[in-house]
Amino acid sequence: MDQFEKTSKVIYRAISASGLTKFYGSNRAVDGIDFSVLRGETFGFLGPNGAGKSTTMRMIACRTPPTAGELLVEGINVRDGGRRIRSMIGVVPQENNLDPDLSVRQNLLIYSRYYQMNRMEAASRSDELLRFVGLINRAGSRIEELSGGMKRRLMIARALLHNPGILVLDEPTTGLDPHVRQEIWQRLEELRSRGGVTILLSTHYMEEAEKLCERLIVMDRGKILASGKPSELIRESVSSYALEVRDADSIPLLPLTPGVSGTKRNGAHFYFADSPETLAPLAKEFDEKRPLIRPSNLEDVFLQLVDGGEDDCEAI
Amino acid sequence: MSSDSIGNNEIERKDDSLLFFRTSFTKISFQDVAAVWLRNLQVYRRMWKMLFAAPLIEPVFSILAFGYGVGSLIGARVAGISYLSFVGAGVLAFTVMMRALFEMTYGAYFRMVYQSTYDAILATPVEVESLAFAEIIWAVSKAAFDSIVILLVLFIFGAATSLFSLLVPLPLIAGSLFIGGLSLGITSRIHDIDSFNLYMAIFFSSLFLCGAWFPVEVLPGVLRWVAWVIPLTSAVDIARALLTGKFLWRQVYESLYLLFAAFVFTEWGMRSLRRRMVV
Repeated sequence: MDQFEKTSKVIYRAISASGLTKFYGSNRAVDGIDFSVLRGETFGFLGPNGAGKSTTMRMIACRTPPTAGELLVEGINVRDGGRRIRSMIGVVPQENNLDPDLSVRQNLLIYSRYYQMNRMEAASRSDELLRFVGLINRAGSRIEELSGGMKRRLMIARALLHNPGILVLDEPTTGLDPHVRQEIWQRLEELRSRGGVTILLSTHYMEEAEKLCERLIVMDRGKILASGKPSELIRESVSSYALEVRDADSIPLLPLTPGVSGTKRNGAHFYFADSPETLAPLAKEFDEKRPLIRPSNLEDVFLQLVDGGEDDCEAI
Repeated sequence: MSSDSIGNNEIERKDDSLLFFRTSFTKISFQDVAAVWLRNLQVYRRMWKMLFAAPLIEPVFSILAFGYGVGSLIGARVAGISYLSFVGAGVLAFTVMMRALFEMTYGAYFRMVYQSTYDAILATPVEVESLAFAEIIWAVSKAAFDSIVILLVLFIFGAATSLFSLLVPLPLIAGSLFIGGLSLGITSRIHDIDSFNLYMAIFFSSLFLCGAWFPVEVLPGVLRWVAWVIPLTSAVDIARALLTGKFLWRQVYESLYLLFAAFVFTEWGMRSLRRRMVV
């Protein structure tokens, strides 16, 4: 029975990391983290810049070896299975790196050679993916003629070319306008609903993590601050409702009534409680500041977890 | 499954410690090299007119200027051959080396930094050694192509007087492997495109020493030694011997030295790119 449990764990885990560490000189980019990702799951890495999200993803995608700790991808150790692991992973990096001199289709066909795909297979798979990302009518266009959103979609198509079991997206929507973000999310949700592919994504947009990720870890300065389902994190770390008062830097935090917690960050006040009624009297105090009572979101969790103190926040 | 891979890991490390020197050449996959090389060809093919024009324009004018212009002032034979033949070999070597140099400095830097082409490739199963080797081989291919075009020009001008001329691309291929590896190594180590200026200055100064325009023998003692240390001197000397069919014993040593330099610096280029890209 024990044996069975052990094997089944290995099989259902797409990724497992224990004590995973990466140092750059004396800088601890990733500092002994443990996590695992189940097969078919959409898993998020949430954190500010420099939290260690990208470095963790680079280690998973076998672009850089860990300094210490163990990291298994589909049961294969990253230290000696780099080539095999990379053939099972599709990567969408932060920056688009398409070949600007080539057409949309040529970009895919050239990329297929790196996976040693044969021509027929590459051609049919390219067309299939161009249809999936809505670029089949632009197959002959040059990259320079594409909009930012189209380029991003092509990057996703390119990462899926070799039918990877794991798709790694490093801040897939950073720097894109809201409309294009929706477009990308739609593709990823469609991909998720089809099943069969484990999706890892890093982001510093709470909205994105909440919408897309089934489970996530919150990282800061190379360490994991919290992990779980977005809804659980919100429930466990903060109360269900939040009162947000912007532009209230000069006003001191109000005395807290029972069942209410409060914090001040970036010149705004945040009060948390389990019902909107509890927060209503507080909101009245700020009438001219247009206070907002809303359900708590991941950003509230994030604000509470990623500390650094008020001074740090103001310095940023 | 997991215990298996840990086992493999230990075995691999043991292998590493057994060998005093493990060359990057063993990590190259030739299928991967072909894939990267074809990518470069496909991008370059869009500018096919440049393929012929670029290697023709400058060497033709150099041969006219040096062979006929300066040659008419010299009158006498240089190192036992006409100055046209002498300088023809120099122009050939100079143009070919320069091609490899530019491809692996500005060309490689552009792909590495501005286009992130290397990042895109390294996300796939292609290892960094295969990528580096493909890049160097690409530079060498362009250089070899140029050497054939210029050789035709030299035939037309009457500067190539021996059938051995057909073998002239060989020392130039070895020379451009050396330059390609060296340049890729330097490109991997700089973080600012202006840093190439110093390398370019050293490269072009050394070309004056290495016997392209006048025989190395006329240099004063110390400079002559410096000249022979630069592998390009050997490449020029062998190319000239093949062009005119007049061989010397020293060219045997030169060939060995050139091959040695090509190997060492190709290795260095591959290691440098790993240091830069796999972090």
